[in-house]
Amino acid sequence: MPLLEIHDLRKRYGTVEALKGLSLSVERGEFFGLLGPNGAGKSTTINILLGLILPDSGTIRIFERDFATEQVVIRRRMNVAAAFTSLSGVLTVRENLKVYGHLYGVKKLNAKIDELLERFEITALANRKLQDLSSGQHTRVTLCKGLINDPELLLLDECTLGLDPDIAEKTRRALKEFQRERQTTILFTSHNMHEVEELCGRIAFLHKGEILRVDTTERIKRLIPQQVVEIHVRPGTDLAALQQWDSLKGEISGGATLRFVLDHPEEQLNALLRHVMQAGIYITDVQISRPTLEDVFIKVAREEI
Amino acid sequence: MTYKFICICYRSLDRIFDIVYWPVISLLLWGFTSTFVATTSSSTGLVEFFLGGAVLWSVFWRAQTDVGTFILEDFWSRNIYNLLASPVTPLELFSAIGLIGLLRCLLSFAFLSLLGWCLYAFNIFHIGGIAIAVFTSVLLLFGWVIGIVISALIFRYGLRIQVLAWSVGFIIQPFSCVFYLLDSMPGWVQTIAVMLPTTHVFEGLRHAIATGRLAIGPLCAALGLTTLLLVAALLFFQYALMQAKRLGLLTRFEMA
Repeated sequence: MPLLEIHDLRKRYGTVEALKGLSLSVERGEFFGLLGPNGAGKSTTINILLGLILPDSGTIRIFERDFATEQVVIRRRMNVAAAFTSLSGVLTVRENLKVYGHLYGVKKLNAKIDELLERFEITALANRKLQDLSSGQHTRVTLCKGLINDPELLLLDECTLGLDPDIAEKTRRALKEFQRERQTTILFTSHNMHEVEELCGRIAFLHKGEILRVDTTERIKRLIPQQVVEIHVRPGTDLAALQQWDSLKGEISGGATLRFVLDHPEEQLNALLRHVMQAGIYITDVQISRPTLEDVFIKVAREEI
Repeated sequence: MTYKFICICYRSLDRIFDIVYWPVISLLLWGFTSTFVATTSSSTGLVEFFLGGAVLWSVFWRAQTDVGTFILEDFWSRNIYNLLASPVTPLELFSAIGLIGLLRCLLSFAFLSLLGWCLYAFNIFHIGGIAIAVFTSVLLLFGWVIGIVISALIFRYGLRIQVLAWSVGFIIQPFSCVFYLLDSMPGWVQTIAVMLPTTHVFEGLRHAIATGRLAIGPLCAALGLTTLLLVAALLFFQYALMQAKRLGLLTRFEMA
């Protein structure tokens, strides 16, 4: 049985239909990405799963329980870390984590807090007030709060926002380790596509309140089949022979780089390279750019795919 | 939750300071006013009436503002999202606020009683322990009723109405006959005043000071009414919370 099952979830704000019958299931231990442009319905979905927004219709089952009727019990086993939220500024980091530890009924709370502070490398901040921390430190405290009860389901909403690249990388590593150790199911939203690619096994692409596609990250990227091949040649090379070859979309830029867009790279790449070499052109470098999740994201947002 | 509010109180100087600041200002103001009026009037017991009113009003005011400001603090710090996403229920939330509010009220009451005795030789305990227990219970409960209703309105209408957390007390005070007799008010004011549990407390206070006896009947009615109002306020809060969830307001932190 899936750990999280959403069926035909609908939410309307006035004339705006935020969710149009969203259905989704997430298995235990999955790192699942919820992607989409602004207004796609990601936050509405997350907030419904937290009980902060009431859906108009649809059912949610978490841990094989009905979320509508057993919310308090379910909430004890899940948690959230969202970048745009905060904890009490006048309380210290440890006090804040203690508050939430008590609310979630965590046993051996002090040891748990120490473990989390160490995991996110903020042990030295334990006795500092939250209002005195930088945004990056703040974000890591929010993550500690999200993990305080060893949640079976963790919702992460833009949770690495504001972290510098070094800390962001460490944070992702810490999250991955935690997820692997505890088999936590994580529902993850972010606009950082690199992060999503690195962390998520499966992704749901949302657009205008509907799921366009649910698949593995690799398969989602294949929604854009084209690959761009850049062939670098010696400056001054005579490229006349190539101009006659029109079976590929290509262009020559800067006199030393040939750029081709391959619609079917598996079949076309070999032919392209052979053709260039047969034309007596000396290749100095070849670069193949595969579509990234960001490319897919942009095309989805612009409704090009 | 109680742990959180205790931490907020001792971590935040203004939350310690406000236990005594406004009540002391009020006590001094009414203490000097009543002392002056007493010198120009033949009426007896004026100082006791005014000071008793000031001390007891601080109980209502403290209870009412504490509920509102403790809730508002979580809005201001954007902690409300995490709090509402946790397993805590509204009843647990208000119970914790009530507990810490009770503690703060007791501190405020004790300090004012001591100050009243030191500055004006006014001993509020003259009216008896039972009278004080009944008066403060009604005022505490009614303070929570108003605080919970204001919190409900903040959840529903957002921070643009946060000023109610401090100002509603000032609207209720003139109708509660804190410093004057119910009979001295115009008819339409009396109509409103008798519906407020606070009016019965202050009328009862003056009766107790003047006669040394407690008019238990109206006070029991006031206590019963306030208890009912508390249940109604909690139901209203639950309704407002559901409405806020239905409209998706809880995730808009500014809600202004």
